[in-house]
Amino acid sequence: MNPFFERDLRISRRQFFGKSASGIGMLALGALLQEEGFASTGQLKQVGRHGAPALPGLPHFSPKAKRVVVLWQGGAPSQVDLFDYKPGLESRRLQELPESIRAGTRLSTMTSSQAHYPILPAIQPFKQYGQSGMWLSEMLPHIGSISDDICLVRSMHTDAVNHAPGVTFFLTGSQIPGRPSMGAWAAYGLGTMTDELPAFVVMTSSDEKKTCGQLFFDYYWGSGFLPSKYQGVQFRSDGDPVLYLTNPPGVSPELRRGVLNDIADLDRQRLADYGDPEIETRITQYELAFKMQTSVPELTDISKEPRSVLDMYGPYVEKKGSYAHNCLLARRLIERGVRFVQLMHSGWDQHGNLDTQLALQCRDTDQPSAALVMDLKQRGLLDDTVVLWCGEFGRTVFAQGDVTKRDAHGRDHFGACYSLWLAGGGFKGGHIHGETDDYCYKVVKDPVAVHDMQATILRQLGIDHERLTYRYQGRDFRLTDVEGKVVPDLIA
Amino acid sequence: MFVPTAIAQRIGPIVLCSIGIAGFASTLSTPAPAKPDFEHDVLPIFKAHCLPCHSTIQKQGGLTLDSGSAILSGRSVTVGKSAESLLMDRILGRRNLPRMPMGFAPLSDKDTQTVRNWIDSGCLLSSGKRAHWAYAKPIRPPLPALENAAWVRNPIDAFVLAKQRVQHLTPSPEADRTTLLRRVTLDLTGLPPTLQELDAFLADRSPNAFDKVVDRLLASPHFGERMALPWLDAARYADSNGFQQDGDTYQYVWRDWVIRALNDNMPFDRFTVEQLAGDLLPGANKATPEGRDKLIATAFVRNNMLNGEGGAIPEEQRNVALFDRVDTCSTTWLGLTMACARCHDHKYDPLTQRDYYSMLAFFNNVPESGVPSDTFGSYYIAQPWIYAGNKVAMAKLWSLEAQSAVAKEAAKADEASTATQDARAEWESDLVASPAKQKDVPGEILALIRIQSSKRTQDGRSKLAAYFLDHGLSGEPKAKRDRWRGLERELADLKTSLPKVMVMSDRQPRKTFVYSRGNYESHLAQVSPETPASLPHMPSRLPKNRLGLAEWIISPENPLTARVQVNRYWQQFFGRGLVKTPENFGVQSEPPVNQPLLDWLAVEFRESGWNVKRLVRLIVTSATYRQSSRVTRQLWTRDPENRFLARGPRFRLPAMLIRDEALAASGLINLKMGGRPVYPYQPKGIWDGLNITDERDFSYPESKGPDLYRRSIYTFWRRTVAPGDMFDAASRQVCTVRQSQTSTPLHALTTLNDVTWVEAGRALADHAIRESRPTPSARLSDAFRRVCSRFPSTSEQRVLERSLDRSFAAFRADPKAANEFLHQGQSPPDSHINPVEEAAYANVCLAILNLDEALTKE
Repeated sequence: MNPFFERDLRISRRQFFGKSASGIGMLALGALLQEEGFASTGQLKQVGRHGAPALPGLPHFSPKAKRVVVLWQGGAPSQVDLFDYKPGLESRRLQELPESIRAGTRLSTMTSSQAHYPILPAIQPFKQYGQSGMWLSEMLPHIGSISDDICLVRSMHTDAVNHAPGVTFFLTGSQIPGRPSMGAWAAYGLGTMTDELPAFVVMTSSDEKKTCGQLFFDYYWGSGFLPSKYQGVQFRSDGDPVLYLTNPPGVSPELRRGVLNDIADLDRQRLADYGDPEIETRITQYELAFKMQTSVPELTDISKEPRSVLDMYGPYVEKKGSYAHNCLLARRLIERGVRFVQLMHSGWDQHGNLDTQLALQCRDTDQPSAALVMDLKQRGLLDDTVVLWCGEFGRTVFAQGDVTKRDAHGRDHFGACYSLWLAGGGFKGGHIHGETDDYCYKVVKDPVAVHDMQATILRQLGIDHERLTYRYQGRDFRLTDVEGKVVPDLIA
Repeated sequence: MFVPTAIAQRIGPIVLCSIGIAGFASTLSTPAPAKPDFEHDVLPIFKAHCLPCHSTIQKQGGLTLDSGSAILSGRSVTVGKSAESLLMDRILGRRNLPRMPMGFAPLSDKDTQTVRNWIDSGCLLSSGKRAHWAYAKPIRPPLPALENAAWVRNPIDAFVLAKQRVQHLTPSPEADRTTLLRRVTLDLTGLPPTLQELDAFLADRSPNAFDKVVDRLLASPHFGERMALPWLDAARYADSNGFQQDGDTYQYVWRDWVIRALNDNMPFDRFTVEQLAGDLLPGANKATPEGRDKLIATAFVRNNMLNGEGGAIPEEQRNVALFDRVDTCSTTWLGLTMACARCHDHKYDPLTQRDYYSMLAFFNNVPESGVPSDTFGSYYIAQPWIYAGNKVAMAKLWSLEAQSAVAKEAAKADEASTATQDARAEWESDLVASPAKQKDVPGEILALIRIQSSKRTQDGRSKLAAYFLDHGLSGEPKAKRDRWRGLERELADLKTSLPKVMVMSDRQPRKTFVYSRGNYESHLAQVSPETPASLPHMPSRLPKNRLGLAEWIISPENPLTARVQVNRYWQQFFGRGLVKTPENFGVQSEPPVNQPLLDWLAVEFRESGWNVKRLVRLIVTSATYRQSSRVTRQLWTRDPENRFLARGPRFRLPAMLIRDEALAASGLINLKMGGRPVYPYQPKGIWDGLNITDERDFSYPESKGPDLYRRSIYTFWRRTVAPGDMFDAASRQVCTVRQSQTSTPLHALTTLNDVTWVEAGRALADHAIRESRPTPSARLSDAFRRVCSRFPSTSEQRVLERSLDRSFAAFRADPKAANEFLHQGQSPPDSHINPVEEAAYANVCLAILNLDEALTKE
């Protein structure tokens, strides 16, 4: 889409419908309304009017999902220990990973010149879960309990071997910062479903002891060259949930209401004199700001959640800023019509503390992740909400550091194969896609590239990833750059 | 068939809904050419709408539209008969066939007509070679001959008026003097006019009153600060590296260089050469202020992000930086998007992958690793860098270095003397003989002494010698050594405190290769530094290095540089460039809305010796600029984006200037220029997200006192977390030459609730109460004028008084609330004013700062 058309389109569409009497116009309007309101069987809270419409021509196909929750597992969870079951490795424990297997694979500089590459099998046993009999680590009992709802991809691969480029690649389609993130694309293409909350919300959390060292940069939810209103809005756990949400001390809501009326009154006088419709937009935005001051605190107040629901999310749910708390807020955001929720959790970067930290990570994230899926499901919202659980890459099957010391070894970054899972939004439940070799080192069946995953998620939102484009610097950019193939096998 | 019918049917109604749009867009267009030719008229339309799916690269449905001969050899067109051509069926959605392009807005009426005329007039392929307009050198067009052109003040107006007449538009009347003064003051200094400046201008009835104002503003030191802002966005300037650890940098030294250069009206050609290649100019050196400035200028190239993540592969990161430099350079100066050519030849523009890496070769000789190499506390910087303190500090540095060298020589000479050798032998034997003297001597040294000197290891010998020099000397030798060591320490302390700016150097020549698909590990052909082959060649007199590149960029043969630059100035003043896409002048860009004007400005700029202030004066003294920005419904419908300039510019100010305006209007502002960045109010824990390890402390070091009120350009810009209140600002991560203009509730929350504006509202109230007649109407009017420059109308005055009454009532009922409201920010409330009264006025003043008019350049 040419950015300069964009404004024209939106304006003219408004005008067009405003005075539309033609049959074509009515037909189109009908089609749009149908799209905007498209029947969801789930329990949605009605928050405000419907928001901004989708771009003309979107969705490209009938969408299976309207919303996305990304549960970002920053630092890169070990697929060797959690998802990619390799019982055969046990017999090769601490044997040197054969050079023939290792050759040609990109490693980070932390291990690329390591003298030895001893194979380290999963640190805890796996077991089978659910009717599908999916093999997962015993450290993930709750995710195991929803295994029949999840689609596990064991054949992901990425070009990146360092965190920032890896995260940027997955979330924006390019390793180099500056492109719009997936959520920004979704908000841009599909519009918003509420005007009292942002279309794209981000929350961050980290492991309690901050062992991981992963930072979250705002370009992970940036709008790149898309207009900045599409960037993710960060909800914070400390202070105002949204920056500058609260009135200054001493200013009551009533007093503020009065001031806003006065501003609107003066702006309207200016509008009458100057005629610039931008003034009208400004008046509307100030009105919405006032509404957000009510809707956001209502959203973040979990005091009315029943105990049974809180318990699902585990013992940390009431702790602001915890992953569990954010998972619960994600559900509340989804219910209120937010298009894209991105939870950024860090804590998976176990270079030297695999034995001591991995279990803690699982403890903090396993139950809340599973609870979110179950909670959405019990409200009928899972069918049209994609939940994506993933990190930027995987970890090496060989050990990094001193394997003889319990707290001095772990696994390095690894991009050639890793695992992630999805739930809801039309993805197959109880399904495993792809395979890696016996050493958990190379994908041997059904590889899925990062751009393929992006294309598939967009497909579920009704978007043809090749056709949601934005012209910038003379080029039609898209999330998937020049790559990406939808992976039909993931879709129910 | 273009697409499977099933998909086509599914998206049918959605495509239809766009019909109204084409009709709307066409209201602005010139008529379609009667005898179009393929190369010039039709291909650009196909490129914009069809080639993504129908080209030799992607032949969807077997259709290729990128060459006229390919079309004629297919069956999509019946020459001379558009009514029978399948191509037209699909463009129009006739015969129940889905309309193309699928899922996108249909072709405009004009474009449709162009294609129709092309078919009907016999499918002319080419009427002689006409290059893309931007690749042909601009030639100064003659001024349009116009009748009844009293409105015209300078050539800009003649071109604008000529264009308007084609569109049947007429200029708006001149803006009133108050609006004009506010507009030009904001545009040239980023500050609102003071009340004194307003009064003086309104009182000056001389015919050249406005010209005098413009001269005054061009001479203001704040001109450089205002003009620097878009340049800093293009240069992706920030005060930290980005990425993990996000180390701070000293690049603010370069920011000050830019402001100085703009204030000194440095010609744009020199401004260009110094920033791209100052290090290669004669006289560039570290030792003199003038020589150092040439190095500092090149920090432009080094403003790239730097990844210091553990495990980062330096060579990979170095290449990322090189890509960034090529992209930044080509976007900033050439308005070209070279990034596409990183992986393959450019799909639309005549830029090859070879061109891309030939450009990269210019930047590939820097002695750098790709990751930060030197750490100074929270600063993480990468070689090469230079010390860049003020004159006094630098003089001290050189003097200390010289003194230290002399003192070292003296001390070393003494060390080697026979007297010292003797003293040493004596010291050793004394030490061995006297257990009392051994008390404070480390065991390692004692052990060494006990070894026969001929049997000591090399390492042992040096250790012992060093220990003796530090502890065993006495008298003159000791004094000399102490002096040298003292100077060394002083030097080290000074070096730590000095800013160290990263600059360019070509000291490490490297071979450059084309990378297969942009992968730095996968080399194809070797290339040498060259400018893109399709653009005018580098004259042979120029060296094949960055200096040659810079000289080529500003050479008169270069068709792009001057156009790209004047277009950005135009954008700065009018909100939109004459070419809407300042970042891209390539084939895919929209043609300039007024090419004669663009070309005239470009040639004028270049031939004036690239005189920036002269060009700016020309723009802001034009009748075009001086028009009122009032818009009628009819005019807005005809030209919503004001492309034809039948009214003055009107758009929201950048957030940085909105803040500056609040500080200036309230009198809080501190206009000190330059130096280390400052840390104004930010929301609590703004950087906590970075505080994820104990690698370093990321608590926000909020400034104290006057530093809180410095202009926004001096706010510390952390690349990973931009300041919370600078909405719509460029991220400063990559080159940005077009500002984002959006409007969201979050912006309203910022200016209503951020302590910056709350405090400014109170300070504004204090001024109004103290400095005007003690009536509510006089005070409110005064406050209003400080922000909006004009007096409020009677009906506006009524609203303001009503607002004041309401605030009064609220705070009278709750004096504690008044007190809380007043104690926001570090500056104290005025103790001479009744708190309830002060709070009531402050609340209204906060509202005034939030008026659309306050946020907008009228």
